[in-house]
Amino acid sequence: MPIEAADCRTPFGDARATSAALLGGRRALCPCPVLGPDGGDLVPLALLSARALGETAPPGWLPCLDGLAAGIPQGPWGGPRHPVFMTSSNFGVGSLFAFQRDRDPRHIEYCMPYSMSEVLRQRFGWGSNVTLVSHACVSAHIGLLLASRCLRSGSAERALVFTFDFISPFVTAGFHALKILNAGMPAPYAALPTGSIGLGDGAAFAVLGRPGSGFCLSAQTLHNEMHHFTANDPAGAGFAASLAPVRAAAGGRRVWLKGHGTGTLEAGRLEAEAFARHFPDSPLVSWKGSLGHTLGSCGLVELPLAIEAMRSGRAPGTVGTAPPCFTDNVATEAFSTAGFDGAVIAGNAFGGAHASLLLGHD
Amino acid sequence: MIEREIILLGIEDPGSEELDATRTRLRGLFAKGATRRMTQLGLLMGSVLEPMRASGADTVVYASKYGESRALRDYLASFPSASPTLFQTSIHPSAVQQVLVARQQPVREFLPLAGDAQIVAHAAQAALLAPAPSVVFCGGEECIAWSDNDKASSPAAFAFALLLSNGGARGLGTLRLEACDDGAGDLALPAFFAALRGRRPLDRIAAPGMRLILEWR
Repeated sequence: MPIEAADCRTPFGDARATSAALLGGRRALCPCPVLGPDGGDLVPLALLSARALGETAPPGWLPCLDGLAAGIPQGPWGGPRHPVFMTSSNFGVGSLFAFQRDRDPRHIEYCMPYSMSEVLRQRFGWGSNVTLVSHACVSAHIGLLLASRCLRSGSAERALVFTFDFISPFVTAGFHALKILNAGMPAPYAALPTGSIGLGDGAAFAVLGRPGSGFCLSAQTLHNEMHHFTANDPAGAGFAASLAPVRAAAGGRRVWLKGHGTGTLEAGRLEAEAFARHFPDSPLVSWKGSLGHTLGSCGLVELPLAIEAMRSGRAPGTVGTAPPCFTDNVATEAFSTAGFDGAVIAGNAFGGAHASLLLGHD
Repeated sequence: MIEREIILLGIEDPGSEELDATRTRLRGLFAKGATRRMTQLGLLMGSVLEPMRASGADTVVYASKYGESRALRDYLASFPSASPTLFQTSIHPSAVQQVLVARQQPVREFLPLAGDAQIVAHAAQAALLAPAPSVVFCGGEECIAWSDNDKASSPAAFAFALLLSNGGARGLGTLRLEACDDGAGDLALPAFFAALRGRRPLDRIAAPGMRLILEWR
C-alpha cells in the first residue's frame, strides 16, 4: 500500500526535527508532577512546548493539530471516496477529567470521542466519512489497517489516517496507579531491576493510496492474546503470533526493527526475545525512552520517523538505554540504514493486543 | 458491494436496568466470581457473545459511542488516589476484552470503533472487509446517571452481536454495503439495534458513499 505522505508532531516538532533530536540522543521526557496542577510524584512526561498537563477549554493542543493538518495533501477528506480514519486512545478524555475537576461546562464539548472528533472534523473542513478507532495503544495501527483494506477493496481512492494523543492527569494517574509510570526514566529493553515508562504528547497523519513518499506498507498484522488485561502470555505466544506473518512477508529482505519498547520489564523482555527469534540479524530500537509512550498514536507517530531514518540513512538508537540489554540485537546507538530494505514497526496494548507492519520502499 | 450472511444474532435490551440487576440476571453465563469486577456493558457483551463462543470466529468488530461510561465516572471519582482497576476497565474496548479475557479466548483481529451518526456504517465496513471467514460484529451501550454531563452516557442500555459468514450456510439474513455517490448519511447504534431487535429490514445511506442494507429471511 503506497504512502503518499506522512508526518508527525512530538515535543521536538515535526518528523525531521524529531528525527534529528533522536539522532542527537536528546530526551523530550522530563520530570513533572503526575497530577499536573494538583501535584503528586514526579514522573517522566514529554509535553508539547509550553503546554501544561491540566487541560484547558478549548484544549491547548488544538493549534498543534492545526499545524499538522496544514501539511496533509489536499483532498475531499471525509467524502465518499476519501475516508478519514481518526485514531486515539485518549481523544478528549483530558477534558473529561478537567470537567470533573473544575465543573467548567466549556470542557464538555471535547470530552468524548464522538464530540472531540466532530470538533476536529469541522475545524479541518472534512466530511462525515470519518471512522473513529480506539483500541488503546494499537489504535493507529488499526486505523492504517482499515484504511488499507478500504483502498484494496476499491471503495476509496485515497485514505487519510489521522491520530493524536495528548496526555492528561487522567492517563498519567492511571499508569502511575499501575506503578509503571514512576520516578525512573524509561530504558527500553535494558536488563534493569525496575521497569519504568514515560508518557508523551504525539500526533501524526499518513495518506495512503498513491505513491509520493517513496515508501509503502508491505504487510500489516494483528493479534489479541486476551490472556490478561495488562500482562502478556508469559510464553510470548502473542508476540510470536504477531511477528510470524511479518517475517513471512519480509521474505529474504534485510529489515531493522522499531519495537514497542515502553520500558516495562516483562513485556520488553518478551518483545526483544521474540524479535531476536524471528529476525536474528536485525537491530532493534525503541524511541519511547526519549519521546515517551504516545499511547494510541505511537504506531503512526513513529512511522514518519522510520521513513525519515530510511531517507536520511541513519536510524536513531534506543535513547536512554545502555547495555546490558535483554538481547544482543538491541541497538543503543544510531546506525546506518544502508543495506536494509525495510523496517518492522510494532506496537502493543492492553488485553495483550499486538500490531505490526512492514515498511518498505515503494 | 460487500455482503455477509447473518448466521447468529444475540440481543440484550435491558433499558434502564441497574448494574446489580444485570449482574444477578446474567451471573450464570460466567465463571464463578468473574462478574464481580465486570461492567454492565461487559456483562451485556458477554450475554450476546455467548451463542458465538463456539463459532471459531477470530475477528471481532465492536462499536460503542460511549464505551465504559460507569468505569469512566467511577475512575474520575477515585482521584486523587486513582484506581488502577477502574483505569484499565475504562478503556474504550474494555467490555469485549472483559469477556474474552475471562474466556481466555484469543482473536486475530479485534477492531473497536467509536463514533456516533456513522458508526454503524463504519463498523459494518470493517466487518465486511475483514478477510476472516467468520466475523463477529457487536456493539452496545450501558446506562448510567452522570450528573451535569448528559453527553457522556447513553440513556438506555443495549447490546447486540451478529455472527457473519462470507457465504455457504444460508442464515437469518444478510448485511450488505453498496457504494453510492451520496455525500451524507447516518445510522446511529440505537436505530440499528432497534432494527435487529425487531428483525426489521433497513435500506439507507448510512455514511457518505455507503448504502447499508439489512435483510431478513
